[in-house]
Amino acid sequence: MEKLVELRGIVKRFPGVVANDRVDFELRRGEVHALLGENGAGKTTLMNILYGLYKPDEGEIYVRGKRVELRSPRDAIRLGIGMVHQNFKLVESHTVLENIILGLREDGLRIDFEKHRRRIIELAERYGWRIDPMARVWQLSAGEKQQVELLKILYRGAEILILDEPTSVLTVQETRRLFEALRRMAREGKGIIFITHKLNEVMEVSDRVTVMRRGRVVITKETRETAKAELANYMIGRPIVFGQKKTSAQLGAVVLKVIGLKVLGDRGYPAVNGVSLEVRRGEILGIAGVSGNGQVELAEAIAGLRKPLSGRILLNGVDATGMDAGKMIELGVAYIPPEGNKLGVVPGFRVVDNLFLKAYRYPPYSNKFLLNWGKMLEKARELIEEFGIVTPSVLSRASALSGGNIQRLILARELSGIIGGIPRLIVAAYPTKGLDIGATEFVHDLLLRYKEMGSGIIFISEDLEELLLLSDRIAVISGGRIRGVLAREEADAEKIGLLMSEAVVQAG
Amino acid sequence: MSLRIETRFGRIRVERRIGYGRLYSISMTLLSLALAFLVVALILASLGLDPIKAFQVIFGVFMKPSLLLESIKQSIPICLAALGLSIAFKMNFWNIGAEGQIYMGMIASTGIVLLHAYYGFFHEWMVMPLMLLASFLLGGAWCLIPGALKARLGVNEILPTLMLNYVAILIVDFLVHGPWRDPKGYGFPLSIAFPEYTKLNIVLGEPAYTGLLLSILGAAAVFFLLEYTKPGFEIKVVGQSPAVARYAGIRVRSTILLGSFLAGGLAGIGGLSIVSGIIGRLRPGASPGYGYTAIIVAALAGLNPWVIVAVSIFFGGLITAGGALQMSMGIPKAAAQMIQAVIFLMILVGEFIKRYRIVVERRGASER
Repeated sequence: MEKLVELRGIVKRFPGVVANDRVDFELRRGEVHALLGENGAGKTTLMNILYGLYKPDEGEIYVRGKRVELRSPRDAIRLGIGMVHQNFKLVESHTVLENIILGLREDGLRIDFEKHRRRIIELAERYGWRIDPMARVWQLSAGEKQQVELLKILYRGAEILILDEPTSVLTVQETRRLFEALRRMAREGKGIIFITHKLNEVMEVSDRVTVMRRGRVVITKETRETAKAELANYMIGRPIVFGQKKTSAQLGAVVLKVIGLKVLGDRGYPAVNGVSLEVRRGEILGIAGVSGNGQVELAEAIAGLRKPLSGRILLNGVDATGMDAGKMIELGVAYIPPEGNKLGVVPGFRVVDNLFLKAYRYPPYSNKFLLNWGKMLEKARELIEEFGIVTPSVLSRASALSGGNIQRLILARELSGIIGGIPRLIVAAYPTKGLDIGATEFVHDLLLRYKEMGSGIIFISEDLEELLLLSDRIAVISGGRIRGVLAREEADAEKIGLLMSEAVVQAG
Repeated sequence: MSLRIETRFGRIRVERRIGYGRLYSISMTLLSLALAFLVVALILASLGLDPIKAFQVIFGVFMKPSLLLESIKQSIPICLAALGLSIAFKMNFWNIGAEGQIYMGMIASTGIVLLHAYYGFFHEWMVMPLMLLASFLLGGAWCLIPGALKARLGVNEILPTLMLNYVAILIVDFLVHGPWRDPKGYGFPLSIAFPEYTKLNIVLGEPAYTGLLLSILGAAAVFFLLEYTKPGFEIKVVGQSPAVARYAGIRVRSTILLGSFLAGGLAGIGGLSIVSGIIGRLRPGASPGYGYTAIIVAALAGLNPWVIVAVSIFFGGLITAGGALQMSMGIPKAAAQMIQAVIFLMILVGEFIKRYRIVVERRGASER
């Protein structure tokens, strides 16, 4: 089979690290090739080299058998290489059509919008997408935006497609649709490189898989000749433990009681539609469900960031309905927001500022008016140690930290008790999303530790494995309603899946 | 920032510089200043004027004590307004209205003086503190209008702050043409001259010294506010991200109100320094655009309050030099302003080159 791309002996060094160390990689016509590895394994660096964003320090790149040198993405695009980045690069206020034809030069001065519109619809239909070329990008869901990104590339006639963690923003249904489209593209003779760190997806969609670890290729294999456990071993170099983590925590009094809660979403309709639930001291209540079904709105209502439409929130028996975030913090609610690098930290601030983003206003870190930097710096150094935050110093900017370390920083701020003791209620929204296995384990252990210390925990995740691993009870949410609550002993993947799918049928 | 120009010969690209030394930074600023003076020299020469002599006049401003004092005097309103702007800009509040807030400060100061002079309110020693307070409050209130619009209704602050400038300027026009006109002023649109004890000459009887003290105290206050107080921290968080601020439990609305009030208040005191330090009365056009110059100063100083003091004095010197050139060499006022403009421009370009570099890639090198 024809080789679309061949990378030979690629070396890329950054100050202090070798991101790619003599990497060989090939992509054949008609295959979906998964590039698997933990965060920081060098996958994205390698693909940025293929896309012309970075120049390799050593090594050769061949496209369709011809040696090339890529000085910029423009060179790559000319060779039929297209890349969909993790963060979409679309002009939000423009239409789909305008985004797709942006930068095309075939038309000269007058743009034939009608011709483009027809062609875009045709192209989209080929992959089973229904997309309105005249819709503004900000109106689209994440899945649709991704389709626009793909259309943009396909419209330019690309046949070498690079997708960087394309499913991290998608719902399960959207992921399924994406995979169908990718299979179709492969049948048409395109080559697709699929960057991921999710084993399930590798098994589901790829023909071959290349595993990277610490900047090197560990192995390249036919997907059907391997298995998840084997790949996991290649990825991390050690086997993963499945099952439930036991603790000696005792259930205590009810910390949080939510009764008939309704909350509006950003689009103006109720995203949380009559949720009632209860969390006790020393308990982890898992919230399972496809993301976008009201989890974040529920979490934000409990954290005081969203005013409930109706219903009640009781914290330790006190009515806290409608209180703002500051009050909720004072009542002992810690909130670990989803996408921590966006909402959880100020990238331009120093580590110490970010650690004290909430606690700065309470003694001993300040009095009525003045901040006590001495106390804050001293405590910040302790927290860095305690939570294993890797940073040159407490005075470094948060933007210099990796995703895993930012999450550690957020955890240190929320959980360490600097805001006035151990939190009574911890609301953790997707706290391990995007983290590598080491950092994920750290988060798990930390949540279990606080459970033992008597915090009540709401643990929102999409990952059934980790929900089963940590939760005492699992509530399944869909369409803004709790479809059922299962005790850990009776819960398994099938039952949860069933509750989720039943709800989907009801909702649809 | 990624700018690219394709030419027949290759590609020209603008890249962000990753870190640069202090020495490099300083020498780039000096180089852009030198270039500015070179351009100015060429223009002056083309007008048939002697550039050397003109430069002697300009640099003389910073050498000759009396002119240096004048420069410092001119720098006070710029400095105070720029200090206020540094708070606003840290809060991501794009206040273009320092000019109007300066005018409101002048109105408040003059109002207090007139209350005293016409109606005999307050003791003599109370007038100055009251002027200070009133100019701060009224300047702050003027900036609080766009602040409240933003906090309550989400109105972008740029247009309201800008438009309120004209309103403030016209209020001053109305006052000095009407109710506040000096009855013995032969009908000129001027207020009465301020009595001595309402002038900024507490320190050594010299407005420049008192003003410098005011500037330094202002810088210290802003520095202290932003680095060591809770409201200062909150202002910075709101400036970085209102969403994060809300998440952290910070009251975003009250913070915007407070920040905009303080920003306007400092500009208001700048207004006081004009009427009671530079002119000695209220008249139309009392500020020739100090509030706009303050925007440049705040930006060039990187919002650092101490640097703002120094940069303000430099710009005060340029204003003074403009006047001196007019008098000693008959250079038209427009040409004097042009000299200032060339210097501003060169420094801005220099700042750009400091942060970015231009890379030229020859064609042919890239393709095999």
